[in-house]
Amino acid sequence: MTYVTSLPPAQGDYYFMKEFERTFDSLYEGMQDLSFAGVRRWKELHPGAKSVAFFPVYAPVELVHAAGMLPVLLSGAGDRLDIQHADSRFGSFICSIIKTTMEMAMTRHLEPFDGLLFSSICDSARNLCFVIKRNYPQMYVDFLHLPHSTSDSSVEFLEQEYHRIIIELERLGGAPIQPAALRHSIALYNIQRSLVRKLYELRAQSPHLLRAWESYVLIRSGNFMPVEEHIEILKQALDYLPTRPGKKRDAIRVVIEGAFCEQPPLELIRLLENAGCDVVEDDLAIAQRWFTDDVPLSGDAVHALAESYVHRSVYSSVRHDFSKPRWEGLAEKVRSTRAEAVILLIAKFCEPAYFDFVLFKKKVDEMGLPHLLLEFEEKLFTFDRLRTEVETFVESLVFD
Amino acid sequence: MRIAAGVDVGSTQTKAVLIGANGDGVKVLSRSLIDTGANVRKAAEKAFDECCQAAGIAQADVGFVVGTGYGRYNISFGHTQMTEISCHARGAHFLCPGTRTVIDMGGQDAKAIGVGPSGEVLDFVMNDKCAAGTGRFLANAAEVMGIGLDDIGPLSLRATRPVKIATVCTVFVESDILSYLSQGKKPEDIMGGVHLAIAKRTMSLARRVNIEPLVTMTGGVARNIGMVRALETVLGQKIIVTPDAQFMGAVGAALFSLEKLGESFESSVWREHAVSSRD
Amino acid sequence: MAEKPVSEYRGSIHQQQKDLMLDWYQHLDHAAETGDPPTVSMMISGNCVELLEGFGAIPQYPEVNALQLAIRHQSLEPILAAEEMGYAGDNCAYVKADIGCMLKGITPTGGRLPKPTLVLCNFVGCNTYVKWFEHVAAFTGAPLFVLDVPFLRNDTPSQADIDYVVRQLKEVVGQMEELIGRKFDYDRFRQSVAYSSEVEDLWSQIKHLAKNSPSPFDAYFDAITLMGPLYVYRGKREGVEFFRAALNELQQKVKAGEGVYDQERFRVVVEGPPPYPYFRTFRDMFASWKAVAVASTYSTVGGLWEFGFRHDAKNPFESVAMHMLAQNVTNRNYLQRYDQIRRYVQEWNADGVIIHFVKSCRLFSAGQGDMRDYFTKQLGVPTLYIESDLEDPRYFAEAQTKNRIDAFFESLEHAKRTATHAVGA
Repeated sequence: MTYVTSLPPAQGDYYFMKEFERTFDSLYEGMQDLSFAGVRRWKELHPGAKSVAFFPVYAPVELVHAAGMLPVLLSGAGDRLDIQHADSRFGSFICSIIKTTMEMAMTRHLEPFDGLLFSSICDSARNLCFVIKRNYPQMYVDFLHLPHSTSDSSVEFLEQEYHRIIIELERLGGAPIQPAALRHSIALYNIQRSLVRKLYELRAQSPHLLRAWESYVLIRSGNFMPVEEHIEILKQALDYLPTRPGKKRDAIRVVIEGAFCEQPPLELIRLLENAGCDVVEDDLAIAQRWFTDDVPLSGDAVHALAESYVHRSVYSSVRHDFSKPRWEGLAEKVRSTRAEAVILLIAKFCEPAYFDFVLFKKKVDEMGLPHLLLEFEEKLFTFDRLRTEVETFVESLVFD
Repeated sequence: MRIAAGVDVGSTQTKAVLIGANGDGVKVLSRSLIDTGANVRKAAEKAFDECCQAAGIAQADVGFVVGTGYGRYNISFGHTQMTEISCHARGAHFLCPGTRTVIDMGGQDAKAIGVGPSGEVLDFVMNDKCAAGTGRFLANAAEVMGIGLDDIGPLSLRATRPVKIATVCTVFVESDILSYLSQGKKPEDIMGGVHLAIAKRTMSLARRVNIEPLVTMTGGVARNIGMVRALETVLGQKIIVTPDAQFMGAVGAALFSLEKLGESFESSVWREHAVSSRD
Repeated sequence: MAEKPVSEYRGSIHQQQKDLMLDWYQHLDHAAETGDPPTVSMMISGNCVELLEGFGAIPQYPEVNALQLAIRHQSLEPILAAEEMGYAGDNCAYVKADIGCMLKGITPTGGRLPKPTLVLCNFVGCNTYVKWFEHVAAFTGAPLFVLDVPFLRNDTPSQADIDYVVRQLKEVVGQMEELIGRKFDYDRFRQSVAYSSEVEDLWSQIKHLAKNSPSPFDAYFDAITLMGPLYVYRGKREGVEFFRAALNELQQKVKAGEGVYDQERFRVVVEGPPPYPYFRTFRDMFASWKAVAVASTYSTVGGLWEFGFRHDAKNPFESVAMHMLAQNVTNRNYLQRYDQIRRYVQEWNADGVIIHFVKSCRLFSAGQGDMRDYFTKQLGVPTLYIESDLEDPRYFAEAQTKNRIDAFFESLEHAKRTATHAVGA
């Protein structure tokens, strides 16, 4: 697959730019690799170390990291895996990522992982956790109850839940997790998250310097590699990007909402941009943007993580938090990025997204903002119909 | 000789089979096949009539009639009904001894049946709410490409690079095919891709039962050599097909019918004939 | 022509149950008029109806409203209204029917439903519940409290789980006191928990009566009909009286050797909610085979009591918490459901399992293929898998469903015949 970059580069920067541009390809390859070669390599380099994968949307990766393990986000298999076996376990009206994840389990693609973490995001994902548990009893498979409440009792509860996970991770890894190690992990992930925040800011301000598909690859690839490596890549990107040659273009500023779990194919994101949209905000990388600012490093680390989950976090369709309703959160995203339209990008059969659509739509209508509902599946590989819908939408906004 | 009949009233076609049993054993005497059309009752009567004529046997000499298929409650001259699942299992057991799995691909549904040593149904799974994996899917594809239904199988066997079929919807596959044709893809590669997609879907369904050899294919689609080969490729095993594959339901029904000849009509095992009525 | 098998349980308690439910709707209508008594909207699953007694409040159950509509063949109109508003075809149809009713001012009995004093989402596993009640709160303007009950991810709840729920129950108490300007009556609450405990014992005994052959009632279709008072009157004296009468009536049937049909040919365990818009038709498909359900998982959504759990008036908050955490089918994990069904098959002596997949409900249905795999391949229990929906009348294929049911019982019948032959030979 070749990626066409926006415009020809200035002469002096040609070599450096070409090198950097090439990284997008290799990062993307890493994200798509179902053999998880990167994980296997990491395990070879760290004999005896474990890798724990987690199903979307959020997991306390700092706990895994502090245990000396590599956390990896399970992202389904798109159209790279034919569903031949998972259909017999999960039937119709279930989103694709559930089935591709099951298919991956049934075709031994999840072998590099020593543990799997699921959480309370939706009914299908929860059942998937226990179906996998039954079929692969040799794996450490766990379910985190992330609270659907924002009271003080929720923080205390989550703290206990994290302690429970710590005990399991210690058992899996054969060594205790030191508080200092946990603080160190939190500090690292704080850095990663702040770099991600900066990238999003840059993109919102200057979309011509960073395309949405590029930021997608830059940021989400971090889910498949050690955080230390990812921090370096993000730093390099932030150094280079402001100097990148690129011309501003006349495009519609849009917010993408709804694709927080099953992911759209990269081609779909590029399609949106090529049709004339600048994606100034999205929820495509929530795992790395869960906290609104740094998790405090003072005090008890586990408490800090739990408290941050409950009180210092972004809104999400997969959790209940009425201290600020999600549609208000969406309104704020629109205002702070001066967006002109909202694209509700929803995975087929994603029940939380379908529900939130009703109230998001209501809010967006109240704000007098145009919106487009697009349903996708991760396994799409032809896009004619979607392209028509998006182009029509953009044309209707441009030529009004 | 005891003579028994089975009538299989399917959504597209109706089949009838006469079976005779005497000291020499059990054998199929005749078969008939007609389009079901709008009048199910008439179709059943016509199929039965033609079948008796083909065997040179008077209708009154047929001792017992079992009806099967979706139209089984509309057979005016039937004595009782059995589902086609039970009949396909029984028929396959008789015509292909050693059958342990039946894959039935009909006009509008597909099923997989786990069969026991005496032809009994151990387990079954059906796809009957969607035409993906059925004859209808193939028929639509054939029509879009302007190829006869009898030719698509052999054509698909000539594929060297079968195309990837994205959709499971039999309507949307038409636009996919047109798209491939406009891209200049070869008809055999397109047909190969269509067959492979259906085979994968069917095997995905079938895996819900324990697939054990011998695997026998029944139903009208079994006449499509391309489909048989595609299934064998996906399954990784030889699949048995008999010339009577399309009549399997009627054969099984006739065998049940034979079993009941001579037994009391009030046998508690058999339900009294009940023609369906709307409430 | 043999008489068509009676496909409905008829007894005096059937009428009593109807009266109790109508009475409840009348109270709700009165509350809509006068604002008294206060009402609390709750979900059926793992409901803490005992708590309401401490406030003299009565429950509203949107799920019951939804299923009542479906049984009366009135669910399509509100579903369509909700879809016009933006709900997806694949959203849970219970929610759509309920929201649609609010939009169109429809109620199951024609009487009014009050704006709830509190929308109390007892989140016990079903994530849809949370969304549903968020929408109810958004559309009615009523205050919302989400009672976050930790999912039963290990065999038993941890102390942290229990403490968390107890704390939240007390928060609910505080919030209700503010809303209605009245103090929580702790004694009434404890008395309610005591009544619950009695009702549970009676209900459990009723469930165990199905172990008899013939079973005096169908533990799916009849149990569903009896469930209404279990959720509305569990913490009240009327509930105790009703279930005492029900148990008595069914015990008489056992003594007389009376089953559901003139003959009990097959005993099955049923998993999943029923297709409410086709309740009668669906039942007839089993009745034609004289197949009786001896146990069901759906009848344990409100609570699972046949294995010994009872509310405890000496520890009212803790036992309410335990019920919500561990003793209802929706907050229990999927593998625990397999185990529940397995126990039913073995201890209630069933011939097979019927898995009814419903499009609306992923909590029940996501992964039922694996459940089927467990029962057929691992345990060798004959299992039938059928599909439709619990609320939306557009998703029921009568001929196909009947075909599958017939094929299943044909094979069971064949198995029974060959077994007896083996024995007889």
